Amino acid sequence: MSRTGITRRERKWTKRTELALRASLPGLVASLAVCLAATARADDPAPVEFNRDIRPILMENCFACHGPDSASRKADLRLDMRENAIELGAITPGDLDASEMIQRLITDDPESQMPPKSAKKVLTAEQIDLLSRWVMAGAEYQPLWSFIPPKRGELPAVKNEGWVRTPIDQFILAKLEANGLTPAPEADRRTLARRLSLDLTGLPPTVAEVEQFVADTSPDYYEKYVDRLLDSPRWGEHRGRYWLDAARYADTHGIHFDNYREIWAYRDWVIKAFNANMPFDQFTVEQLAGDLLPNRTIDQQIASGFNRCNITTNEGGAINEEYLVLYARDRTETTAQTWLGLTAGCAVCHDHKFDPLSQKEFYAMSAFFNNTVQNAMDGNIKDTPPAVFVPPSEDRDRWDALIADLADTKARIETRKAEARPDFTAWLSGAALETVKAQVPVDSLRFHAPLDEGKDAEIHWTIDGQGGSQTVPSLSWEPGFIAPQAYKSTAGNVVQAPAAGDFEKDQPFSYGAWIKLPKDGITGAAFARMDDGHDFRGWDLWIENGRPGTHIINKWPEDALKVVSNTPIKPGEWTHVFITYDGTAKAAGVKIYVNGQAQPTSVQADVLKSTIKTDTPLKLAQRSTTSRINDIALQDLRIYGRALSGIDVAALKAATRAASLVAKPADQRTQAENDELFTGWINTQDGPTKELNAKVAALLTEQNAIKSKGTVAHVMQEKGDEAMAYILFRGDYDKRRDEVTAETPAFLPPMAPDLPKNRLGFAKWLLTPEHPLTARVTVNRFWQQLFGAGIVRTSGDFGVTGEAPSHQELLDWMAVEFRESGWDIKKFFKLLVTSAAYRQSAVTTPEKLEKDEANRLISRGPRFRMDAEMVRDYALAASGLLVSKVGGPSVRPYQPDGVWEAVAMIGSNTRDYKADTGDALYRRSMYTFWKRAAPPASMDIFNAPSRETCTVRRERTNTPLQALVTLNDPQFIEAARYMSQSILKDGGTTPEERIDSLALRVLCRQLRPEEMAIAKASLDDLLAYYNGHENEAVELLNVGEFKTAPGMESSTLAAWTMLANEVLNLDEALNK
Amino acid sequence: MNPFEEFALNETRRQFFARGKSVVGAAALASLMGGSRLGSGLAAAAEATGLPGLAHFAPKARHVIYLHMVGGPSQMDLYDYKPEMEKFYDKDLPDSIRMGQRLTTMTSGQNRFPVAPSKYKFAQYGQQGMWISEMLPYMTRMADDVCFIRSMKTDAINHEPAITMMQTGNQITGRPCLGSWTSYGLGSENDNLPTFVVMVAKPSNTEQVQAISARLWSSGYLSGEHAGVAFRASADPILYLNNPPGVPSEIRRRTLDGMKALNELTYQQVGDPETHTRIQQYELAYRMQASIPDLADIASEPESTHALYGPDLKKPGSFAHTALLARRMVERGVRFVQIYHNNWDHHGNLAGRMPDQCRDVDQPCWGLIQDLKSRGLLDETLVIWGGEFGRTIYSQGGLSHENYGRDHHPRCFTMWMAGGGCKAGSVLGETDDFSYNITKDPVHVHDFHATVLQLLGFDHLKFTYRYQGLDQRLTGVEPAKVIKELIA
Repeated sequence: MSRTGITRRERKWTKRTELALRASLPGLVASLAVCLAATARADDPAPVEFNRDIRPILMENCFACHGPDSASRKADLRLDMRENAIELGAITPGDLDASEMIQRLITDDPESQMPPKSAKKVLTAEQIDLLSRWVMAGAEYQPLWSFIPPKRGELPAVKNEGWVRTPIDQFILAKLEANGLTPAPEADRRTLARRLSLDLTGLPPTVAEVEQFVADTSPDYYEKYVDRLLDSPRWGEHRGRYWLDAARYADTHGIHFDNYREIWAYRDWVIKAFNANMPFDQFTVEQLAGDLLPNRTIDQQIASGFNRCNITTNEGGAINEEYLVLYARDRTETTAQTWLGLTAGCAVCHDHKFDPLSQKEFYAMSAFFNNTVQNAMDGNIKDTPPAVFVPPSEDRDRWDALIADLADTKARIETRKAEARPDFTAWLSGAALETVKAQVPVDSLRFHAPLDEGKDAEIHWTIDGQGGSQTVPSLSWEPGFIAPQAYKSTAGNVVQAPAAGDFEKDQPFSYGAWIKLPKDGITGAAFARMDDGHDFRGWDLWIENGRPGTHIINKWPEDALKVVSNTPIKPGEWTHVFITYDGTAKAAGVKIYVNGQAQPTSVQADVLKSTIKTDTPLKLAQRSTTSRINDIALQDLRIYGRALSGIDVAALKAATRAASLVAKPADQRTQAENDELFTGWINTQDGPTKELNAKVAALLTEQNAIKSKGTVAHVMQEKGDEAMAYILFRGDYDKRRDEVTAETPAFLPPMAPDLPKNRLGFAKWLLTPEHPLTARVTVNRFWQQLFGAGIVRTSGDFGVTGEAPSHQELLDWMAVEFRESGWDIKKFFKLLVTSAAYRQSAVTTPEKLEKDEANRLISRGPRFRMDAEMVRDYALAASGLLVSKVGGPSVRPYQPDGVWEAVAMIGSNTRDYKADTGDALYRRSMYTFWKRAAPPASMDIFNAPSRETCTVRRERTNTPLQALVTLNDPQFIEAARYMSQSILKDGGTTPEERIDSLALRVLCRQLRPEEMAIAKASLDDLLAYYNGHENEAVELLNVGEFKTAPGMESSTLAAWTMLANEVLNLDEALNK
Repeated sequence: MNPFEEFALNETRRQFFARGKSVVGAAALASLMGGSRLGSGLAAAAEATGLPGLAHFAPKARHVIYLHMVGGPSQMDLYDYKPEMEKFYDKDLPDSIRMGQRLTTMTSGQNRFPVAPSKYKFAQYGQQGMWISEMLPYMTRMADDVCFIRSMKTDAINHEPAITMMQTGNQITGRPCLGSWTSYGLGSENDNLPTFVVMVAKPSNTEQVQAISARLWSSGYLSGEHAGVAFRASADPILYLNNPPGVPSEIRRRTLDGMKALNELTYQQVGDPETHTRIQQYELAYRMQASIPDLADIASEPESTHALYGPDLKKPGSFAHTALLARRMVERGVRFVQIYHNNWDHHGNLAGRMPDQCRDVDQPCWGLIQDLKSRGLLDETLVIWGGEFGRTIYSQGGLSHENYGRDHHPRCFTMWMAGGGCKAGSVLGETDDFSYNITKDPVHVHDFHATVLQLLGFDHLKFTYRYQGLDQRLTGVEPAKVIKELIA
């Protein structure tokens, strides 16, 4: 039968194939099988173990078609499940002949051979032997080690007990001894001082710290030093930096515009949490579900920013659902990678090929992270909602007090409102009208036309205190707002006042009226003194598509101001519109008020150089000849010869209206009018309310002051619905299949029924004692930070495809220890660094390179090139330039020109890189602004990730581009110069003393004689060169912003700068 | 050499050849061990620096120059001639053509989808009678050098995912790009230059440039040394290449000698093989400092070169300038050169912008191919031209006979290749009258990648990298095929 003939419908394939096999290979198969079985019996080597011996073979060769992935499964056979394999006859424990799997492996019939030829996989004889022995021994399966909860096992016996300092050492030593290796001797104190400082703080120790450590004769000198480092605020920065890789923290959105995202409050939170030694369980809960905690604090909300660090888009044309799916997926993958050590992403399109995670389970897990109110489009803004304001920490208490105080004051205003009615009534019956009228500003009132005549054919006004009027044959009127009748413009009734409103451009003036627009979208002049026949000279109160504004013009458009409010006023509604101009000839000097409130405006012209005086009269509802608005109603038109203040305008609006209400007989006032009157009264006449209002204003001012100093936190916020997601065919957002609710995967312990089915429940589930992964994955990453590689080297993959642990019992022991210690991170690190394993010298030998090439057995101390940030921080710290400020917004240190510009879009607010100045140049690298489309150039070269997706293990390459950074980057040159300057000042007097001073700063040790000779020779040559090349010396010293101290000899300092550069580039300086 | 040192050295050599570790490191190691520069023959190169067991076939192309037109050039205004459309001017795109396929949200809200026929004149050129727009006068001269694909299609409809798809075979960021795969598979031919170089050319018109980002040339899950190295039109063509002011080469040499001597002592003390690798990386950096300015300095190019590439050659950072640098890189053994040219995103004012775009690239493309040909490099250098998707026949925004805009269109677009074993003078693929759907010989991005890999000597199914337990490949898991018709 043909291989391709095997389909899921043919469940009885075993028998038929067996027949075919026997027919084609008479005798051979049977004899081979016997032979294999005999081998298994005769040698009787170490028993076969499924996890160690069998699973890797099956995974490599069989699971792709006979494993967890239901879509690609052939013949319904699962070799990852014993019952299924036995049921279908693939395996018959103890019987090779009856084990189809074995038969198919050894046959040479191409039709039935497994793996099929197309798979391009061939098993070795050794592998087939292992499988056969396993089948003969009963074909026992084991669950994957990492899915079984860790147990604290017995400490293994060791021969050299004297070496052991901690239980960790017992595990390490047992394995070394088993491999015929001995540990390396303990490193000298200088090396340890440097290693500990780098591992616990990310920075080299100071010279004084090293000397103190070396000279300390107390028995607990080591622990004391470790404790000091753990207490340093540098600890939280350093540990936090690793975490930020997993959290994919960066300062931009990531996709398309890649604009600024203000999310550094989350970074500060991480640093603070490590420094406070927040237990890892709390650390987990707050980041995954801080927003869902009862009585959540602002800090807990900030922590929920972990799930807001993902990349987002605002690309025009993008389809919302497509990105919402991607965001939920990214959060799921990041969480799975960080806490579960699983590559869940594989199950996006199909069941996981190797791990028992089905596609359905992936989407059920993603439902936890899908239930957010966040929009698909980030808006290209820095504070994409949901976001909350974060006051600076020193203002937190005051901020909270302000909120309470404001609420309290507002409540008291309400109370006073309820109590004030009698006072109001008394006032109304007294001198109300006079008090109200007295509030209308009269100072510099140049022109006033009430426009309330109602029937006469005459319009009256006051101009500079003198009465005036115009007779118009056919005036129209309609019901008014602050008086019964209001002027209404109709065709032909042109009202004009020749002497009104004649101002020069440098005179302040203000103008406005109560206005009612007849309909939407009106454009024209409400009134104007503007000669449209002569370059539009003059000014107007302009309505543009319903939006009020003004022109102040000498010659349109080149010598003119134009300012228009951003929002239209409502047609059919009486509205008070007032313009003030301060005489500065700038658009900024124009303010537009609607109903007493200043409006946001757009400036459309802003060059005014020449006179605005014109002979044309003031006209209502038009300019001199054009821009007529018919059916506009006007009342109380006023022109002042000064720029009214905002208070003035508000009073004018309130008082003109109130006066009309007070004047009205009480029985004719409607309830609404009474309320309006009351509101106006209580805010302007009532002493207690005025006091309270003043207090509110003061509180708001204070609040705004804090606001301007604070930042914003991107937070998580649940939708009201139950968490759900759709299974997506092949992961495509538009191919929805079944709906699933939030569930954890079945191969892991079940979620306790009392846990809520949301992120909070999920976080608590991760932390249950029987959870096999969380503690293991976490301690493994901690181990990786110190030793360069995890005990499971694939620290993001604890699944079937991950590498087996080098010391599983140790990992389990540590996982339990960590959890039972109350998830105490500092305590755990102390345990690690006080171990004899850690304290070994990094010196290697040919024997160790042979037997333990990559130091997986920890046969020597850790030694590897430092991470990008540490390389830069090291130079800054050793030189003394490092600024120790913790936290705050990101900074922009030196970067070559054009790195951002080359990739960024025009219009992106992270297109142009402008380096900061001063302290910001010398902050720790974790504060460097991280633009995702162009990560910090010097760090990128040293394998810093792009921070687009979760990274739990960085690469560590060794390339010429890295050499160019540390040789030539101004940051490193300046550090070398700064260090040299202080060495020349206080580093001794002889060249040798000074070279030693340099070595102590950079290498934490003095040079050996043969090294000193080399350094001295370098120095002599450098001095000889720069003594003869003063100009070059000066050029070199000009690199970097920091000014060289006066009195330094340029050539000497230049030579020392290059020597320091040489030493800072040594392999020893770049390695931990 | 003392026995211990020798052991370590052999150890390093063994590690390298066993694992195909740091490619550049290997080259450096070879010279450390007294070996000369690696052979320039293909076999020698593959043996020394490529992956063991590769290539799968005799490769036709040894180098790639990939000219990516960022934004998505309009196929029906350049190559996909649709004379029938004149009759459909301002008429709605028939539903029978659109078939309900998705649109971007920039035009999905339009009331109408009025057809905008190309305003440009076309004529036929070359033995296959390829239709080419009047905007590409130089292209018309080399129709027989080029292999046109009028039936490209992709899955993505917006720039970010589409350009990522085109470069990495996946819409989601994080996978290695074509250049990284090539570096991984074929390794380096030059000790002193990067294997994979990226240049971002400046368009003369910048009305609507699109975002690109360093992630496009990242090495994804491949080792970092396979990432593209950005090469800039500045005094520092490679970041941090130049010594600081006041540090001449001899002083750098002097400090490097000091470092080398001190590092040797460290090595003797500690015995870490990585220390030797580091020594060699610093030496390589020093050699790059000399070789890159030489590469970037085009002053020595004769007048004939200027005649080929055109007047823009004098403008650093122009497309013409980067095209010439690409030739100079390929000459020196750079494996893969990626050039990005932006501003092809013609949602509006196509007629106002397209002529500039074409002028930027038309003559330099022609010049590059003639230049490679005359130097005998075209046979072994594959030149690729194309964007991340095509554009719609219907107009976005205002439509007149004189001007119009076009939205993104993933279902068909035109690309071309030249040299490197592709079939010169051929035309593959047809689209319907609306340049909307492919009617013959579709070439999906994965098929295109499979074909390019084939030209480089790789079976795309076998050219894999183990990551997360899977044999990952550029062409992904969906079926993809080599397009035989594109291969000479």
